[in-house]
Amino acid sequence: MDFANTPSFFRSGPKPGTRLLLCALASIALLVGDSRYGLMEQARDGMSLVLYPLQRAVNLPLGMVRHVSDYFTVQADLKSENDQLRTRQLEMSARLARLETLERELNELRSLNAIKASRNDAAQLAETLYTGRDPFSYKIIIDKGADAHLQPGQPVVDGHGLLGQITRVQPLTAEVSLIIDKNQMVPVMIARTGERAILYGYGGGVEIRYLPLHADVRENDMVVTSGIDGLYQEGTPVARVSKVERNAGAAFSRITTEPLAGVQQTRFVLVLQEKGQTPPRPAEPVVPVKKTKGKKPADSE
Amino acid sequence: MSFDRPKELLKPVKRRFIFMTLLLAVLVEMIPLPHGSTRWLPDFISLVLLYWLINQPRRVNVGVAFLMGLVADIATAGMLGQHALAYSATAYLALSRQRQLVMFNLGQQALAVLGLMLCNQSIMVVARMLSGSAFVGWSYFLPPLIGALLWPLLTKLLLLPYRHHSV
Repeated sequence: MDFANTPSFFRSGPKPGTRLLLCALASIALLVGDSRYGLMEQARDGMSLVLYPLQRAVNLPLGMVRHVSDYFTVQADLKSENDQLRTRQLEMSARLARLETLERELNELRSLNAIKASRNDAAQLAETLYTGRDPFSYKIIIDKGADAHLQPGQPVVDGHGLLGQITRVQPLTAEVSLIIDKNQMVPVMIARTGERAILYGYGGGVEIRYLPLHADVRENDMVVTSGIDGLYQEGTPVARVSKVERNAGAAFSRITTEPLAGVQQTRFVLVLQEKGQTPPRPAEPVVPVKKTKGKKPADSE
Repeated sequence: MSFDRPKELLKPVKRRFIFMTLLLAVLVEMIPLPHGSTRWLPDFISLVLLYWLINQPRRVNVGVAFLMGLVADIATAGMLGQHALAYSATAYLALSRQRQLVMFNLGQQALAVLGLMLCNQSIMVVARMLSGSAFVGWSYFLPPLIGALLWPLLTKLLLLPYRHHSV
């Protein structure tokens, strides 16, 4: 009971029960608003801007430790790495020379056939700030956002393959959903056969679903993006088939795959441009008018 | 380490200190760590929050827990409201038994904290599963265990500035 003359020692505002009711209602409203309707994006943007300096401050000592350990690298390590890089560069330059001739030929052929070159190779390098601690979703936060003109939907890769896709852009940071996240799907094809499929993330891994039993898939097949969605460039490596189970009782074969990109440990990532320039959908075919008795429609094609 | 609750008279706790420790917990939460470590690292925000709920119930109440939950939601890039709901419910449970909890020795308190943090995790699991996520496996309930083991240490640490003989 609160009276006007209750000493302040006994007065403590509303009861915990009332507070709990209020807070629980507020948080359920937030949950529903956020998950069903996505109403909270603005608020989240604002809060993330406030938290950004904290984020930077926390990353600072870690970055310094990295710098120091970079500085004190053993000379032998440097030398062996240098040698490796040099041989790799030689191999690469040989392949590059071949690729350049191929590309020239391709462009000539394209111009002959009047096909627009659809490659847009602009890419932005970003650094992973932190991995989301939420164990339900597989996301990383990178240090570029709306300030670097990133947009939701852009593909993100690392040196080995496709990493994921930008799903939320905040003023200074962006959230990348990894391909192993539960709601991520990537249109892919088997590089060896060109068979198209869809790669589903299931939370911690990826798998190819809905390929018929007779589909020609083997272990160690490379899975690359097919590029038919107008989002990912075709030919980006995504995963490697690790196991194929064909069960006569099931309608589809069970294909387990492993992502190629270091989905959990990369520090630097590349944000690519969306493929874009998708030609408009072909017009709906004209539904032939049903033949009515006696009359014949003029054009039924 | 003795598990008896400290019996000496303590200096009054400053509001600033409570704020500082909560801020520190948020910072710890935001440190970029290798991915595997999040499976066993306890939720430091809820640990510190529980400490203040049990020891300073007049300063830290359900409302503060709710606000800290919102901050945790943003910091972990989770769903907005998930931590807020769990923290406020846990805060209510802790406050309703606060007079008993504060009399326990540290071992008993750690057990109570284990229960509270398990309740915390369960609320979050239920909230996420209702919104369509898959169950993440029983390892999700490992962090509370480690959090409870850290409880005596945390208590001793947070008491350090308030001993009379330490300046």
